[in-house]
Amino acid sequence: LAVTLACRSLFQLFYSFFKSLVGKDVVVELKNDLSICGTLHSVDQYLNIKLTDISVTDPEKYPHMLSVKNCFIRGSVVRYVQLPADEVDTQLLQDAARKEAMQQKQ
Amino acid sequence: MFRYSSLDDDCTLEEEDDGLIEEEDEIDQFNDDTFGAGAIGGSSMKSVQCCFLQENSHFFELLRNFLEVELFELEVNKYLILNLRRQPYLGDIIYVDERSGGSDLAESLARFILDADPAIAGVGAAERPAPSPGSAGSVLSALRGLDQSREGSLMSIIKEAGLPKRPPQGRADEGHDLSERAPPPRSSSPVIGSPPVRAVPIGTPPKHPMSLNHQIHHPTAVHVRAPIQHRYPAPFPERLSPNTLLNIANSPLCRGPFPPRVGPVLSQLQRAQLLNSQHIFMSASLQVAGFPRGGPGPPLLAGGGFRPFFGGPPPPHGHRMGPPPPHGPHNHTPPIRHNTTHLHPQHRRLLTQRMQSRGGTGLDRRSRDPYSNLMSQKEKEWVTKIQMMQLQSTDPYLDDYYYQNYYEKMEKRQERERDSSSKKEHATKLITPQVAKVEHTYRPVQFAGSLGKLTVSSVNNPRKMIDAVVTTRSDDEKREKQVWNKRRQILYTVEKMYSLLLEVQDFEKRFVQTPEEEREALLEQHKTNTEQLCSSLQEKEWEDRVSDEQCVMIMSVRKGKRLIARLLPFLPASQGAAVVMVIARNLPALAKKDKQDQVLCCLVEPVSAVIQSLSSSALTDLLQELQGGDGQLAGVLQNKVNHQQTVAGWLISQPGRTCVRSPAKEESTELVFSVTRELLGVPSSSLSPPLFTPPNLLSLFSRYVDRQRLELLQDKLQ
Repeated sequence: LAVTLACRSLFQLFYSFFKSLVGKDVVVELKNDLSICGTLHSVDQYLNIKLTDISVTDPEKYPHMLSVKNCFIRGSVVRYVQLPADEVDTQLLQDAARKEAMQQKQ
Repeated sequence: MFRYSSLDDDCTLEEEDDGLIEEEDEIDQFNDDTFGAGAIGGSSMKSVQCCFLQENSHFFELLRNFLEVELFELEVNKYLILNLRRQPYLGDIIYVDERSGGSDLAESLARFILDADPAIAGVGAAERPAPSPGSAGSVLSALRGLDQSREGSLMSIIKEAGLPKRPPQGRADEGHDLSERAPPPRSSSPVIGSPPVRAVPIGTPPKHPMSLNHQIHHPTAVHVRAPIQHRYPAPFPERLSPNTLLNIANSPLCRGPFPPRVGPVLSQLQRAQLLNSQHIFMSASLQVAGFPRGGPGPPLLAGGGFRPFFGGPPPPHGHRMGPPPPHGPHNHTPPIRHNTTHLHPQHRRLLTQRMQSRGGTGLDRRSRDPYSNLMSQKEKEWVTKIQMMQLQSTDPYLDDYYYQNYYEKMEKRQERERDSSSKKEHATKLITPQVAKVEHTYRPVQFAGSLGKLTVSSVNNPRKMIDAVVTTRSDDEKREKQVWNKRRQILYTVEKMYSLLLEVQDFEKRFVQTPEEEREALLEQHKTNTEQLCSSLQEKEWEDRVSDEQCVMIMSVRKGKRLIARLLPFLPASQGAAVVMVIARNLPALAKKDKQDQVLCCLVEPVSAVIQSLSSSALTDLLQELQGGDGQLAGVLQNKVNHQQTVAGWLISQPGRTCVRSPAKEESTELVFSVTRELLGVPSSSLSPPLFTPPNLLSLFSRYVDRQRLELLQDKLQ
């Protein structure tokens, strides 16, 4: 029970984090090794991601994606999200994580 | 098996009040009637009928459980009709694939009556489906049964399945062309799927953990789509894209907000048109497009249009687009919009800027997108609403910490960059709605004497998988870990201090928000926090002195350095000064350790702030510290790493600055001499430019030093 509740607040943390990145260009790597580059259009509390203007970053081994311009990615299939470094305030993120941890203890 | 529940005048809504009917019995009863009766149409209907697709019985079981729906099964026609009685809301979508046994359905109608309004009933009653010529056999006629006593709270969808038995007399070519059905216009009414107005928002935890097992009103749209088994090739390959279908279906629906008042009904003409196409997909909605058509338009809905939804095999004739409807597909595909209501105004501005700069290219692409407009704007808003409801938080500052602070910082940054004179747009603050907190205490369900844990799970008390018990380590293991322990200890201390620091930082914000009574308590807590912070830096025995060791230990970790940097402004003056002294004293050691981390420069700012407030005597002490060992200063200055250089250089210049202010002291002159000596001593190549060069440093030196040296210094300082 504690683990699941913890996950929920963790989701909140990352949802807050990703919200600040809406509109920025990111690269999402999925668990099936597909990497998609696009503009982060929206994110939800499950960390589902909607990307616009996408392109497949790696050599286009995935030609079926050629005509796709926007996509919706379920949060559970994401392996990595590559972000622009200057858009992230690491100190703030650390603080948020610490607050998160404090909250959980209570 | 073919089951059908026939219409029965006695069987009114009121009678079928208690929960779900055991329709099996009823159905069996009427089986004979069903099979023998033939098309039932036009009898006086006051009853509610539902037909179901037997193949999906399990699915309907589920539905039944959740929706209090009465399901009746009607297999042959593959009809799926839900009777959503007693639902306090309006709006259900039912997709029905109907394939009659061989004749085209004269009437393939799904008529759903929205309201218990007698007016509607009247209206509805007036438009009985009349069998179209040539389809005597299977007739689908919609029956309305209105429970007029239940005003407004009852929505019954009544449908009577016509039996697809015999092809109409006129038909020679038998068969089986179920294929000649037009899928019904896809409903896209704003009512569909709109949730009812609830006092308790969706997602609120149930009060009683057991309540999950009971039927819960899920006021969601029911999209029930019967799977098609595509058997017959389509004689009419016309196909309209979902877009055009929607446009057709949509136009009469673009009326006021829900709740809708009148459920329009398919007109005769429409019906006929529907029947002309291959397959009839019935969309039973509360507002079915029923606009009168002037002339015989093209078949409105072709089977191919809905193929994707049903997951069946692709239509054999491919995807041929039908002739565009008379009023043409209108292109109201807006560019991709963000729902920006919850975003910070700054963020919103950034986004719109971005959109504008990129906006040009996409439009022509989108104008030809056949899959746009699958959902009406209202539907989209509804879905978004549900999602946002789940995000309501009780403490937005905590839950949304990163986002809010990020944009606050950005605001401050922009303020700083702008002149303070141009203070427009100042009040763009992010307002986050806050929901009242409800205390849930979770107590796992337990019964005395039971073995193990019960799995009564809900979203708020999910199943407990592990019983975790804390165990302490044995001594042997402790000894092994001693090596790691030191570092861990430091890290642990740092983290604890961080949490205190964060509390202290937030104090101001919270103070403003708390009511008067609680302010004192908050203040108290704040004090204890700060005290704790201070004490953590102090020696164990001497409560007053800042512990060198402790500080150095903390600073040996990258996190620690950052911590100290942030902590300094919150420390009382004396402590702050002491800490700075410690730093000065140990600068070379720290510098060495910092080679990897390179974060000493983060200390510059807070340290400078402290130094500025130092008295001159303290300053001289500081300088002395800096010069501590032999050539320490030189060593510091010579340090190849850039950052350290700047720190050192700056540290020196600061006291220099202060010396200017109070030049009288003797020690200071000595110090200045030594400083200059060192500066000169160091080859200029290894000097990296200091962060700040106080403008009067040179003038200061000029007072003490002769011209030659001055010039050298000048060169060095460039």
